[in-house]
Amino acid sequence: MTFLAFLFILISLVTFVAAQLILKKAMDFSATHGMRNSYFVSRVAIGVVLMTVSFFLTLGLLQRFDLSYLYPFQGLSVIFITILAAVVLKEKISARLTIGALLITAGIVLVSMS
Amino acid sequence: MQNRPSGFGNPWLQLGLSVVCVFASELLLKRGASEVAAPDDAFSWTGINGLASPLVWWAIVLIIASFISWLYVLRYIPLSLAYPLSRVVDILVPLGCWIFLGEVISTLRWCGIALVVFGLALVAQPIAKMEERL
Repeated sequence: MTFLAFLFILISLVTFVAAQLILKKAMDFSATHGMRNSYFVSRVAIGVVLMTVSFFLTLGLLQRFDLSYLYPFQGLSVIFITILAAVVLKEKISARLTIGALLITAGIVLVSMS
Repeated sequence: MQNRPSGFGNPWLQLGLSVVCVFASELLLKRGASEVAAPDDAFSWTGINGLASPLVWWAIVLIIASFISWLYVLRYIPLSLAYPLSRVVDILVPLGCWIFLGEVISTLRWCGIALVVFGLALVAQPIAKMEERL
């Protein structure tokens, strides 16, 4: 796999996870403040733009690689969320999470060698 | 989970539908992308040329459908239960690649896929709990 392909896989995953979290924040906010405010609209707009970026990058990657090759990389999103939770929520990483993350990483290494 | 609707509104049915939509959309996106693939053209990294394939548009419809049913599911089933169950799609997609797309999956790749699936199964619940708080 080329460096460019790996970079695009990473960007498509990071944008997807970020979009999900931003949209969730927006929905939580709308529950108390409604939808007719610039905070909600701007967050939804950012979320949709990020989702769109992720979608098209995936479409570009699918033109070049098997789906069975690209799909396992989605497991990396779990690792992003773990890191984010550790940084933002100061959450302790449990043994279960560590083992799971190691399994996912090892699996992705094998898939990328295949 | 009280006052759970029955019939088409049954959240478990909707969870199944959401998973099937995600699964089908992945396969359609791959088929569509292969149809219009232009790997020598640097512009095709943007994926925008993929819109020329009707299969990609069908995939978009299914993605939106899966999103709507997923939001519906979350009104009735907690994320820490719904999310781990939804990961069954991680098993369906590689099988679909093999059965429907005819991709040749080497033993090495199957092993890698299996490790990722085990890892995801292990972390699904703690991850869902973290996501709820993020």
